[in-house]
Amino acid sequence: MATTAEGITAPHTDHGHDADHKPGFFARWFMSTNHKDIGTLYLIFAICAGIIGGAISGIMRMELAEPGIQHLGMWVDMLGGDGTSMDANYHMWNVFITAHGLIMVFFMVMPAMIGGFGNWFVPLMIGAPDMAFPRMNNISFWLTVVGFFSLLFSMFVPGGTGMGAGVGWTVYAPLSTTGSQGPAVDFAIFSLHLAGAGSILGATNFITTIFNMRAPGMTLHKMPLFVWSVLVTAFLLLLALPVLAAAITMLLTDRNFGTTFFDPAGGGDPILYQHLFWFFGHPEVYIMILPGFGMISQIVATFSRKPVFGYLGMAYAMVAIGVVGFIVWAHHMYTVGLDVNTKMYFTAATMVIAVPTGVKIFSWVATMWGGSLEFKSPMVWAMGFIFLFTVGGVTGVVLANGGIDDNLHDTYYVVAHFHYVLSMGAVFSLFAGFYYWFPKMSGRMHSELLSHLHFWGFFIGVNVIFFPQHFLGMQGMARRYPDFTAAYSYWNEISSYGYWIMAGSMLLFFANLAYAFLAGKKAETNPWGEGATTLEWTLSSPPPFHQFETLPVIEDYHDYHDHRPAGA
Amino acid sequence: MLLFASSAHAQVDAAPADAAATETTAGYTPMTPTEGKGMPVDGRLSFQDQFTQDGRDALWMHDAILMPIITVISLFVLGLLMWVIVRYNRRANPVPSKTTHNTLIEVIWTVVPALILVVIAVPSINLLLSQYETPPEEAITIKATGYQWYWGYTYPDNGGFEVISNMLPPEEALDRGEPNQLAVDNRMVVPANTPLRLQTTAVDVIHSFGVASLWFKLDAVPGRLNERLLTIEEPGVYYGQCYELCGARHGFMPVVVEALPREEWEAWVLEQGGTVGEPEVVEAEVEAEAAPAA
Amino acid sequence: MAGTKNHDYHILEPDIWPLIGAFAALTFTTGMVFFMHEMNGWQIILGLGIAGLIATFFSWFSNVVKEAEGGDHTPVVQLHMRYGMILFIASEVMFFVGWFWAFFDFALFPDALQVTAAGTAEQATENLFVTQGVTDGTLVPAGMEVLNAFQLPLLNTLILLCSGTTVTWAHHALIHGDRDGLKQGLWATIALGAVFTAIQAYEYSIAPFNFGQNTYSSAFFMATGFHGFHVLVGTIFLIVCLVRAYAGHFTPRQHFGFEAAAWYWHFVDVVWLFLFVAIYIWGGWGAPVH
Ligand code: HEA
Ligand code: HEA
Ligand code: CUA
Ligand SMILES: [Cu+2]
Repeated sequence: MATTAEGITAPHTDHGHDADHKPGFFARWFMSTNHKDIGTLYLIFAICAGIIGGAISGIMRMELAEPGIQHLGMWVDMLGGDGTSMDANYHMWNVFITAHGLIMVFFMVMPAMIGGFGNWFVPLMIGAPDMAFPRMNNISFWLTVVGFFSLLFSMFVPGGTGMGAGVGWTVYAPLSTTGSQGPAVDFAIFSLHLAGAGSILGATNFITTIFNMRAPGMTLHKMPLFVWSVLVTAFLLLLALPVLAAAITMLLTDRNFGTTFFDPAGGGDPILYQHLFWFFGHPEVYIMILPGFGMISQIVATFSRKPVFGYLGMAYAMVAIGVVGFIVWAHHMYTVGLDVNTKMYFTAATMVIAVPTGVKIFSWVATMWGGSLEFKSPMVWAMGFIFLFTVGGVTGVVLANGGIDDNLHDTYYVVAHFHYVLSMGAVFSLFAGFYYWFPKMSGRMHSELLSHLHFWGFFIGVNVIFFPQHFLGMQGMARRYPDFTAAYSYWNEISSYGYWIMAGSMLLFFANLAYAFLAGKKAETNPWGEGATTLEWTLSSPPPFHQFETLPVIEDYHDYHDHRPAGA
Repeated sequence: MLLFASSAHAQVDAAPADAAATETTAGYTPMTPTEGKGMPVDGRLSFQDQFTQDGRDALWMHDAILMPIITVISLFVLGLLMWVIVRYNRRANPVPSKTTHNTLIEVIWTVVPALILVVIAVPSINLLLSQYETPPEEAITIKATGYQWYWGYTYPDNGGFEVISNMLPPEEALDRGEPNQLAVDNRMVVPANTPLRLQTTAVDVIHSFGVASLWFKLDAVPGRLNERLLTIEEPGVYYGQCYELCGARHGFMPVVVEALPREEWEAWVLEQGGTVGEPEVVEAEVEAEAAPAA
Repeated sequence: MAGTKNHDYHILEPDIWPLIGAFAALTFTTGMVFFMHEMNGWQIILGLGIAGLIATFFSWFSNVVKEAEGGDHTPVVQLHMRYGMILFIASEVMFFVGWFWAFFDFALFPDALQVTAAGTAEQATENLFVTQGVTDGTLVPAGMEVLNAFQLPLLNTLILLCSGTTVTWAHHALIHGDRDGLKQGLWATIALGAVFTAIQAYEYSIAPFNFGQNTYSSAFFMATGFHGFHVLVGTIFLIVCLVRAYAGHFTPRQHFGFEAAAWYWHFVDVVWLFLFVAIYIWGGWGAPVH
């Protein structure tokens, strides 16, 4: 397979005809077998889900802005319930937090990172023409969509004390079994089955693609770190999700077919569910952040104009995080009545993860050290990520101490912790990646000014929302409460103000999208300059419908910091 | 009292019919809470004051070890970012270096965090050990049972009576000078300065018995009996909440612990129709007490 | 050069079945919810869902077979399929880990727990609840009968082990170009699989305990039930191979469809061995047998 650099770097307009032959509208978007189109679908889906999940969190922040029940009754009425019943109001709260948690986790972050950016850029970065299983790729996407539909259905059917599933995103038994009559929880459970099946198929697809479809010369140790991050993530998905599937299937049979897995009346054990859930759930939180780590590595290197510092350490730190992530799950269960030795073990094991994560943080800083930094929009988001993820990470280390978590468990301190790693960590990396790759994906440049304003508004907004929640948690404010005693008013009010700052900045994000599509400059092949060394920057923006018809060859004499073919 | 500003909260449904109300006769009147003690304080930045030895140990661990360490780490990372922004921006440093390795520094940033974690782990393990001390023989057993959505407190060493504890409607709480959403009709009354063998369980779904100012939180799980030693050091009213999502009124089943001097507590027990004396360890009775699952 | 495919990967045309398949899955799960709550029209929804799923599987795999026969499956594409199948089986293993986890939780901690202040977990001296006979601290409640591991289950173990060898026989025959041997081996494997399923069904029908009675029966039926479902899927997979063998598919060098079926069959076999040892023998040890 002889190849020349020209095959890659020549202007693509002249050989675009065959390669760019696109199917008609329906075939292209509903029957797609093209990794870039499927990636686009995932991104659009994730943005829609993000808007819904973000809007629900707005309703939640409005409700929590002051003590008392403000708006819940209105929503109960809208869903066809009885808005004057206080229980229905309270139930509505539980439905909102459940929907918010599930949507953000399963239908915003995961589809955006793995489905969206993973699909778009894993094949491009390893020099592959597409994914290994293009047709399966498409059903992964549609299973995610129908999973979301199933979750929506659940909102409009009875779920016990009101409409919808009000069991929290963790769906703990026996609240989710004997504690919630009605079909809502079944719909929610099936939602996870469907989305989970899609993710498992996606995981096999990514692993196969990465192992088998790297361009000639691209050894594992020459792969860009984003590809490494998706590889590790895919393994976590593959091994963790089936356990969740088993656990929620037990919920289903307990609910409907009389098994007693979690029902003490038949000898069952509610704590078993928590073990099974968190055996999945803890790897899940790394599933949500590892691709973000990968994106941040690409971005920091690009805008420092300097190769990633400590590449191998970076890659194997992610492997270590993935492996250790499987043996720390019970730190979510410190108060269930674990014995003291178990608690000690999980305390120690959990803290170990801070070491490889620290390696990542410091290697990013070292990448910038000595670099020639340019503060383009992806870079500011990436730097925001590094700081805010650290803040979220170190509060995780506080929670890791079983004796400390006794007081903080299920308080707003935990809510603050995980929003720092998710709503700031994961979401900042999403925006960083989005601004980084938007020109490549769309062929248009966004406005740097609007992206910077978006950054500052979002940065200030989310910090105002979530920093005070640490104080609320330390004062004992419990999670999953629609109402609170007057002494929690002060910080809750401030937190809710933060939401509006954040929401305002999101308008700039959408304005920016509109601007880019209507008036944005055409994007060059490589808008970011010589720091951008991965293969996607050798293709036109947007890349041809089928890229790498001739595979690029990564020459031996390149070290692993330069992922381009010879001569590029 | 600004602190207990009234809220637009709607009436919470009355206690379930089957819950036996405890009599409140002349002798005992619920203690008036001390403002700011055993309850959250608006606008505060740290934990509630602690009234147990475990609580003070843990608070020390947090304030003296964890908080400084995580603050320094966060500021250190922030400082590094500031430094590279100032020193290595494109204008200040137009030609980037090509350095990609430095074994020494990589070893340092692996080993130093590991050492910091050891510094955290040692007191952390000790804290855990002290939280799991075996209660002495004379400890008084109290069993907290979570129901949807109220608590029942049983005193097996004192005749086995049960106190049913429902949240007070907010207006009533404020009238009594108590914080809204946190006050209850019948409190869990316990002797101060006495080791308590606090047990938790539940009959329907999982609840969690937690009191922030006592550094105490233990899930109440159907089919399980969890147990923990608790010694409250001074008389007072300590407000807590249910900390595990348990359905619609999860936010409306607070915990209130009232610690009384031993004699006053014994008087309260007698008033409830209970017995005072050498606590006989009657395990069987404890268990038999639990109602069959619904 | 430009615009022409110059590599061995398989670039696919757009295809409608992923969309149909996903919506069929949604229809199926929705039908299940309707069925479980006895809501009107569940028969129609569930039926449509199942029909859609079957149609999807059928068309999808026929397309794959057509592409294989059409020469799209270059060596590297075959390698993809190997990876895909291994990873799929790995995820299936983790699925069974969940069920075994439940079983061992019940087997090792069969009674209500008391976690004492000293930090040790003890079995509560007396059960907290008047449970349905689960009071004596064993997995199998006093007085409950279980199936004798050394009768039908042992027979089934032998049958499955046997079927593992017959499928290997078929494989060797295929590699050596012995088409008759391939067909005979497959027939034998399918027959053994069918006998296994029949015996399993019979055993369920005579089981001395009900489906949702207690933790033992729950873990027993769900774990063996999911295994049985996998046997069915594996048998269908082998039948497809047999049909393809008669249609002249497979060559001694290229026959991944067959190999995948064989791998799957071995996986199902291994799961059974664990079930047999853990649930039938160890789990029922000492309990009265039926
Ligand atoms: C992206 C998601 C994400 C990530 C990355 C993490 C990362 C971590 N989490 Fe978090 N966590 C969640 C999402 C996440 N978490 C969620 C969603 C929940 C709640 C679930 C629920 O109940 O609903 C939760 C809850 C949760 C709990 C349970 C709290 C409770 O319910 O009581 C605990 C306890 O141990 C914990 C710990 C940690 C730790 C130790 C890390 C570590 O990985 C962090 C490591 C990072 C750093 C430490 C910072 C960088 C390091 C350095 C700069 C080096 C130097 C540092 C030191 C020496 C300390 N998390
Ligand atoms: C990724 C996960 C994620 C994200 C981003 C968020 C974002 C937010 N969350 Fe959420 N939250 C959870 C996960 C998340 N949350 C979980 C798991 C729970 C626990 C649920 C439970 O208890 O069961 C929870 C619970 C929770 C609570 C506690 C409720 C309670 O316990 O009673 C609160 C309260 O304030 C809250 C608020 C918010 C707010 C104001 C935001 C805002 O930051 C929202 C702003 C909106 C966005 C940040 C979305 C923007 C993104 C896009 C539009 C997509 C962009 C896509 C591309 C660029 C491709 N959340
Ligand atoms: Cu009871 Cu929450
Ligand atoms: Cu975790």
